[in-house]
Amino acid sequence: MQAAPAQMPIEAHGHNHWSPYVDTGGTTLAIAGADYVLVASDTRQSDGYLINSRYSPKAFELANNTVLGTSGCAADCKRLCEVLEQRAQVYRHRHDRQIGAPALAQLLSNTLYSRRMLPYYVFPVLAGLDAEGKGAAYSYDAVGNMLRVTAVCMGSASALIQPFLDNQVAFKNQRVPDPDRLLSREEARKIAIDAFTSATERDIYTGDYLEIFVVDAQGVHKETRELKHD
Amino acid sequence: MFLTRSEYDRGVNTFSPEGRLFQVEYAIEAIKLGTTAIGIRTGDGVLLAVEKRITSPLLVADSIEKILEIDRHVACAMSGLTADSRTMIEHARVEALNHTFSYEEPIPVESVTQAVCDLALRFGEGADGQESTMSRPFGVALLIAGVDERGPQLYHTDPSGTFLHYEAKAIGAGSEGAQSALQEMYHRDISLPDAEVLALKVLKQVMEEKLSNTNVQLAKVTAETGYRIYSVDELQEVISRM
Repeated sequence: MQAAPAQMPIEAHGHNHWSPYVDTGGTTLAIAGADYVLVASDTRQSDGYLINSRYSPKAFELANNTVLGTSGCAADCKRLCEVLEQRAQVYRHRHDRQIGAPALAQLLSNTLYSRRMLPYYVFPVLAGLDAEGKGAAYSYDAVGNMLRVTAVCMGSASALIQPFLDNQVAFKNQRVPDPDRLLSREEARKIAIDAFTSATERDIYTGDYLEIFVVDAQGVHKETRELKHD
Repeated sequence: MFLTRSEYDRGVNTFSPEGRLFQVEYAIEAIKLGTTAIGIRTGDGVLLAVEKRITSPLLVADSIEKILEIDRHVACAMSGLTADSRTMIEHARVEALNHTFSYEEPIPVESVTQAVCDLALRFGEGADGQESTMSRPFGVALLIAGVDERGPQLYHTDPSGTFLHYEAKAIGAGSEGAQSALQEMYHRDISLPDAEVLALKVLKQVMEEKLSNTNVQLAKVTAETGYRIYSVDELQEVISRM
């Protein structure tokens, strides 16, 4: 890495020391079902009170029916996605088969941990189908802690959306909890849309467009919708 | 300029004018001095059988190990300069563990085989600064048996770094006789218990000593139990079925 130039612009946050990390905001969620997995993320990229881009997608289709949803620093997200794509291709060449979602999930964890001392500023979720064809969603922190989950939300509106998913997707915190129930594809899609519509009202870093990826045995289906632009 | 043909077999990095690498060919010859090893693929798993030469009654038979585990789901039998296989098996084990570490899944059997073959040709001086582990070709052939999502598989590797996929294969001193015996008696639907008997029958044909539960070694790799070596009692049970 290059040394920081002596004159750095003072950041909008008012800190005048240089930091290699910028949070460009945005939110990603994933919901796993019996035979599908859904990833939804907004496309706004901001820096403080400024909007850099209204359409800067942060969910990416990777090799072999998997989708990587990200949030954090947009540049790091993009690089991480490229690194994973490359490694998935090396795997395909080396072992003459497509990398499975669980293998890619472990690879992502190792990739993140390999940068333990200067991590990618990324909070990824990985979605794909497992060996049995069940929907698999994995959530991570920036240094590679990995969890397989039914529903997860990462990013600037995660504090608004995660409790909603816990309640409405994982059926936690209910008088009669039902942790084994899985949502149908359409239910999950509607919940994802509602979650983002609500979060966009309160979180200034989330908005503009919503991209929904649904992964099933047939492939990846992508849908783009509008969110509030303010 | 004035080299006679025979001088081309001195260096490991020089082709003869006919396009041959004599040292590699001689290494392949070295395997034909080794004990016989047999591999048989069945629908339920792969079987490995090797002969042990008990050259002295004072020799502890258990100390001869010619079938080794690479990973839970991959094993290998060897013939030739068995000491050379140490380096190759160590390499294969590391590759298998690295794969599990990276992807949290067992390594495909073909990939282990490929890894071993990558090492097989890493002899000689080593290209620019690259460390080479051997000054000569490895004098050992391996039968790599394993089970993965493609089912039970058997591979044969030789010192030239070539690997081939087999249904049944014999290597070592008795390989010619054993291979033709396998060709006659092997069929694709053979059961594992039948393959046990077949392996020992074929070994018996080519062995100089009388086959017993101490001078052969038998191992299997199945999807359920992974790699398992037969105990003396289990071996005796197979012998009694011959």
